[in-house]
Amino acid sequence: MTPFGFASAGDPKNPVMPGCGACHPGGGGLEFDRDGKRYDARLKAEPQLAQSLDGDYFKSPWDKTGVVEADCLVCHLPGYNFKDRIKQLIMLNFKWASTSASGIAQVTGTVREGQTPAVVYNKRLFNEDGKIYLELSGPPPSENCTFCHSFSDMRKRGFSWNDRINHDVHNMRGMACVDCHWSIDKEHNFAKGDENVSTVRDDLDNTMKNCKQCHEQGFMGAPRPAHLSVRPNHLEKLACETCHIPTLHRAAAEGFDVTTGMLVNYPKLGAKQVGAAFDWKPRYARKHKDGKVWPVNNLLPTIYTNQDKDGTYYPLYAREIGKGYEKIKGQLKDKKPSKPELHKPEEIKLMLTALAETLKGNKRFQQVRPNYHKGGQMHSLNEKGEIVTAKDETWCGEGEGFNVNHNVAPAKLALGANGCADCHSSEAHMFKGQIVTDLFGSDGKPTYISSGRLIGCQPWAYYVNQFHQTYLTPYVSIILLLLVFGLVLHYTGQGPKGADFTYEPGEILRFTLTERWTHLVRMIAFLLLTLTGYIFFYNNVTMLRMFFSTPASAVIFHWVTGLIFLAASVVALVHWAKDARFADYDKEWLRKHGGYFGGKELEVPAGRLNAGQKIFFWLTAGLSLIMGATGVLLIFKNSLPLTFNCLISTIHGFFAIIFVAAIIAHAYLGTIANPGTWRALVDGQVGRKWAKKHHSEWYKEIAAKEEKE
Amino acid sequence: MRKNPYKIWSPALVVLAVGLALLLPSLAGAKIRTHAPIQLKTEDGKIINPLTGENADQPYSPRQTCGACHNYNDITKGYHFQQGWDRVKDNFNAKKPWVLSDGMMGKF
Repeated sequence: MTPFGFASAGDPKNPVMPGCGACHPGGGGLEFDRDGKRYDARLKAEPQLAQSLDGDYFKSPWDKTGVVEADCLVCHLPGYNFKDRIKQLIMLNFKWASTSASGIAQVTGTVREGQTPAVVYNKRLFNEDGKIYLELSGPPPSENCTFCHSFSDMRKRGFSWNDRINHDVHNMRGMACVDCHWSIDKEHNFAKGDENVSTVRDDLDNTMKNCKQCHEQGFMGAPRPAHLSVRPNHLEKLACETCHIPTLHRAAAEGFDVTTGMLVNYPKLGAKQVGAAFDWKPRYARKHKDGKVWPVNNLLPTIYTNQDKDGTYYPLYAREIGKGYEKIKGQLKDKKPSKPELHKPEEIKLMLTALAETLKGNKRFQQVRPNYHKGGQMHSLNEKGEIVTAKDETWCGEGEGFNVNHNVAPAKLALGANGCADCHSSEAHMFKGQIVTDLFGSDGKPTYISSGRLIGCQPWAYYVNQFHQTYLTPYVSIILLLLVFGLVLHYTGQGPKGADFTYEPGEILRFTLTERWTHLVRMIAFLLLTLTGYIFFYNNVTMLRMFFSTPASAVIFHWVTGLIFLAASVVALVHWAKDARFADYDKEWLRKHGGYFGGKELEVPAGRLNAGQKIFFWLTAGLSLIMGATGVLLIFKNSLPLTFNCLISTIHGFFAIIFVAAIIAHAYLGTIANPGTWRALVDGQVGRKWAKKHHSEWYKEIAAKEEKE
Repeated sequence: MRKNPYKIWSPALVVLAVGLALLLPSLAGAKIRTHAPIQLKTEDGKIINPLTGENADQPYSPRQTCGACHNYNDITKGYHFQQGWDRVKDNFNAKKPWVLSDGMMGKF
């Protein structure tokens, strides 16, 4: 495309849609050629240039149209008539465009129709001295920015501004585009973020403040988020936009197709057209720059290339594709210009064969090998002229997606505002959302992939993970309450067991000081782990605020306590593993259920630890191992794959519940169910009567030992 | 005897009304910064005066008009104006040789 073509692009029969020139405010390449000379002045001096192959002048009547100088009023004049600018440029009234679109004069006649446009100024705008008075705005109003950015960014990412349907919380607070994208230098460059696909001026990337900078510094009164219900790793792994732009409300384009030689945009599936009111949720992708998960819109390409002799896949120009399409469009039945998609092998073969013919002799290429790229696949012709389909490993298949960064929802609509289930539930879009990968699969229907797979989580892992939110969270409290209720029933039905514990002479040392300390450390650590675990399990912000300043401090507290518990468990294993070995007399204890049922006082044989305590010991040893192993891994979860994290966090949560249930039962049996037992863990002493009653075999060993001595 | 409330409040209301009247123009100015009257000029730098008819059939030139006070050349070096035109190079992107710049002019 020549600069003249760039300036005048558009349909003269219907000069409504902006071409390239309308959104270019003028100056630069629309004013000066590559040698830095004004097109109009140079062409007047060298008229032969219009007949030459000089791309700046080829068939370009700059001498009649004038050049497109930078139109300051496009940005700075509220009420600027952008539609008129589009019309003026398409009708080749380059140097009249600003005069007409600003509304300061009426311009009639067009250069395209061979006329010299006439100008009549609106005298009411002029003072007596002949100067014009315009109510200009220093910072450009957002409405003027959206002249260009509304359509292009709507297509790419569903962006709109000042739009009550597709709201943005910053917009709702009265912010304008220039509040973030202010002018950063005397050249009127604007602060920008970092677009990840359509990269323009990457050297200006991140010159604007990002979410964190504004909201941590309180810039422009931005509120500081506490994020108390958000796990710290979520803040490290997810871009702010991921949670805060959960849904967009105007349809972006799902893809585009250049099969006819014209650009056809396909709206989001289910939407009437691009820009129509339509709810959709973004695709998620890991941004290559920071590895965080970002919301994106992939804008699936349907494009054609030619593989040249050097192996490079060159995109075909629209006119080159159009020539091929013209040859075969009569053979493509039931195809509409608005939906030219080709998905059947015979259709694709027809098109590629036509392109192979029309590209012959094309001076751009040293070899003709056309390819059709769609849905992550590349279709080519082999030597026999048959279609060969392979995974698209070329640049065409590298679509990362346009990042979605406007139309931010108020905090109460963000993902997570209603709890973890916003993402970790059976129907949550974050993992189970269906994302289009090919608008027209081999059967003509769209193909999909689950959202979770795109961020590196295997489907089985998030099915396992959502078990936590779907089944565990709602029912755990009920299960634990039922357990407590059962224990109450047991206590009231069966009563406390054994002799009351009374001080008596000649007491026996049941647990050494080290053993008692070990138990004490495990007990306190477990209580603290249960408290913090409960906060995490239910994301209980009230308790979090009560005990910890931030979620991060609660997490650190949890894993430090967990490590202490794990160390104490290892010591406990060393102390009691020998005593926890099963003996023959344990069978009787188990057969009689330890004498806990039936309401009668039964003599049941037991060693230093009874069979029930042995079972409990090995159960908690196993649970400690599982909780410790998964817990230690979770400390390093930021470095682990998402699939693995989903699995181990679910295992950690599930076994934590079993552990808590076991400890509740253990606490019951160690206190009110067996009065006095607790004392053995305080001073380590038990009476002989109690020892004989509860641990007969151990008492025999003690008595034999004493007799020997 | 009860005082007439109108006698008490009317001076205060007058002060309030005068205050608001003084404040209103500045509030209006907060939204739109008014620009000094501008002398329109043609692309040759000639004055346009529709009231006298002087060059009144010519379109105004932003370069000559706005550039009389603002540095047009500096401003138009910005990305929005150049859109890659000032960075066009044949070897801009070795992997994608058809990409000649990082702007809309010279970019696929």
